[in-house]
Amino acid sequence: MLQIDGLTLAFRQRRVLEAVSLQVAAGETLALLGPSGAGKSSLLAVLAGLQRPQGGSVRLNGRDLLTLPPEQRQLAMMFQDHALFPHLDAAANVAFGLIERGTPRREARQQAEAMLAAVGLADRGRAACHTLSGGERQRVALARALVCRPQLLLLDEPFSSLDTDLKQQLLADVAQHLAGLQVPALLVTHDRHEAFTLAQRVAILQHGRIVQQGTPAQILARPASSWVARFVGFHNVFEQYAIPPQAFVLGAAQPQRAIVAVAPQADGWQVTVAGDGAPWQLLLSARELAGGPPPQPGGKLAVGLRPEELLRWPLEAGTMPAHQDQQG
Amino acid sequence: MSWLLRGSLALLPLLFLAAMVAAPLTRLLWEGGSAFNPALLHDDYLQWRLLWSLLQALISCLLCQLIGLPLAWTLARYDFPGRGLLLRLLLLPFVMPTLVAGLGVLALFGPHGVAGINLQDTPWLLLYGNLFYNLPLLVRAGVDGLSQVPASRLLVARTLGATPWRTFWRVEWPVVRPWLASALCLIFLYCFAGFGLALLLGGQRYATVEVEIYSLVAYELNLADAGALALLALAVGALAAGGYALIERRLVKDSRPGPTLCQRPQGWPQWLQLAATLLLLALFAAAPLLAIVLRALQADAASWQALWDGEVLAAIGNTLQFSGAAVLLALALGLAHGIAAARWWWLRALSFLPFMVSPVMLAFGLLLLYPQYGASLWLLVAAYALLAYPFVAKAVAGALASLSPTLPAAARTLGATRWRAFWRVSLPLIRPALRRGLAFAAATAVGEFAVTLFLSRPEWTTLTTLIYQRLGRPGAANLEQALLLTCLLLAFALLAFLIIEWPEKNRAAD
Repeated sequence: MLQIDGLTLAFRQRRVLEAVSLQVAAGETLALLGPSGAGKSSLLAVLAGLQRPQGGSVRLNGRDLLTLPPEQRQLAMMFQDHALFPHLDAAANVAFGLIERGTPRREARQQAEAMLAAVGLADRGRAACHTLSGGERQRVALARALVCRPQLLLLDEPFSSLDTDLKQQLLADVAQHLAGLQVPALLVTHDRHEAFTLAQRVAILQHGRIVQQGTPAQILARPASSWVARFVGFHNVFEQYAIPPQAFVLGAAQPQRAIVAVAPQADGWQVTVAGDGAPWQLLLSARELAGGPPPQPGGKLAVGLRPEELLRWPLEAGTMPAHQDQQG
Repeated sequence: MSWLLRGSLALLPLLFLAAMVAAPLTRLLWEGGSAFNPALLHDDYLQWRLLWSLLQALISCLLCQLIGLPLAWTLARYDFPGRGLLLRLLLLPFVMPTLVAGLGVLALFGPHGVAGINLQDTPWLLLYGNLFYNLPLLVRAGVDGLSQVPASRLLVARTLGATPWRTFWRVEWPVVRPWLASALCLIFLYCFAGFGLALLLGGQRYATVEVEIYSLVAYELNLADAGALALLALAVGALAAGGYALIERRLVKDSRPGPTLCQRPQGWPQWLQLAATLLLLALFAAAPLLAIVLRALQADAASWQALWDGEVLAAIGNTLQFSGAAVLLALALGLAHGIAAARWWWLRALSFLPFMVSPVMLAFGLLLLYPQYGASLWLLVAAYALLAYPFVAKAVAGALASLSPTLPAAARTLGATRWRAFWRVSLPLIRPALRRGLAFAAATAVGEFAVTLFLSRPEWTTLTTLIYQRLGRPGAANLEQALLLTCLLLAFALLAFLIIEWPEKNRAAD
């Protein structure tokens, strides 16, 4: 189990991580989700020992990690650019860590070939790195991380350089390998889809602080702030609440509202209507339209709200309008 | 890498630079300053020396700029078979010993020269020698600068109504100008502080301050006047070096400027332009080397046989020994300096220091500072290493800086210690750069002439000093001998060049 307590990191004057605390159980994958610059990769660098924090503690299975140099931490990291060694072939890349940990070369090579086969690159061991495709490089990096039987796996945006189709397939493969490994895994990403697919729990990082953590379902059901709601993908987010899709009610009994804009989508129409005080965006599926005429800008749509379905969060300090105090 | 480790690595080259550059120069300045006599400046003879030194450097800069810029533009914008090779060949002067250049010019335009015109005792000989060395440098800088202008930008200018000529002035010139300026600072410095060429080609009237200092020290033992002249020369050199450092730091190097415009010439005027360019380059950059080879081929068998005597073999042996020791020292210094300088720009700038100070000043300063070691082989080898190691340091620092930082980091997480990560990942990846740096260093040591002349003893005659001795003896046979020995030097420089430019096994995609 990985236990992080009060981790603080600063570069010169700038605070990168502020009192970050996390727990990841063995066999669990935690996704660290945040926009670029939130400090996600810095947290991984601290865990890997490439960066020294100013405060806090990190324990892995009871062992204090921060006092150890990177090579003794027994973890594996997958880098955003894969960081394959260009002077070594695929199998030698995979065998690198085994050799560093004292495995004889011949045996390390055999284990590396076997691991490559396990990630679906059975006969690519002799391939030079620059001849590999993006997906293949990804798999070599995965094999290199897994072959040392690490006690902790760190994944630093490993899928960000792949196109969507390839990403789906690799996500499934990696999820399968993670499940078989039974060690804590920490995935850093700015892609909520990736986080929600791969991780059992998600921690959301904003400006170096964890602003919310929980299972994907918990976070989607109760976002902690308007920023989180927007970041996890809600369209109609306002200062004090967000309107999830299930809060919209269609039907003749609802008030008629003017359609402001229409954009066709694969599964229906993205329609913007003039809501109460603000434009609302909703997706009209082809099924809901039931063969009727497509919505037109300038037309009308009958839409209402179920107030009990609205997502609300405690008002954040600083977002409170200043003049309310004077009125009270 | 921790501050402490980097700092302790930097200590070795810093101490070396302090002992071999800073201290001797301070000593030299003090010598020149304390004995400075303003009457010296009113001496007509010395006035002319100073004036001519400045003048020949300025004229060389002007000629380089006038001839070089059109050449650079043609080479940058026209594609033709062998273009890549030609651009690489432009680096050849960097590994060419001054003696080869000087004798090449003499073989071409000297007495009984291949060209049939005797330019000895005219200023043209020295100016031509300066162009041989420095025109390729300016052309190379111009091509590099012009390659920073993407084709799209030129196309936009044309669609906005600019003629090709106006496009050059308004789009290409502003980009290439700082590149040319930095090259011109270096050219001024090399021409002003150059010693070998001026000694061989200047003759009585057109020698420079550096030659004057050498003869004051070596023949007249007049250290006071030599020191005063050195002070003036150093001040001028420092100005040029400072200008170079200022401009170099501001050079914008965009690693991916997008595709550049480089097409086959279209129509006969463009082919003519290209042909004229190649002809000019051959005239200025290749002709002296060809002249040496031609003269060597014309030599009879007896002259070749005369090479096989003890004096020549001993000189070759000395050259190889001294250079070997110097290259080993340069490897240690260069690695330490390069690794420490990968993140510290000021340390990287310091590695240019030995390039900036003229070898004559250095040797003079060393003689003043360490008179007791004047006859020590170690001082000579250390001076060789000083001139050679910046090539290694520059190559290592550059290669390490362009190395993705995640590679050593990945090695660390895979269980490699700091040292193992360097040994198994960083070192193999910088090896091509290291090889190039070492070849440059070896070429510098083998071709070294100025410092050797100052610090060497008769029994340490190297190939370069032997050539100079043979040149000084009367008679056509001695000149022929000198030319043949120069051919050996030329062959060595070409070998170094081949090692530097030999293509690496392809890993371009990374």
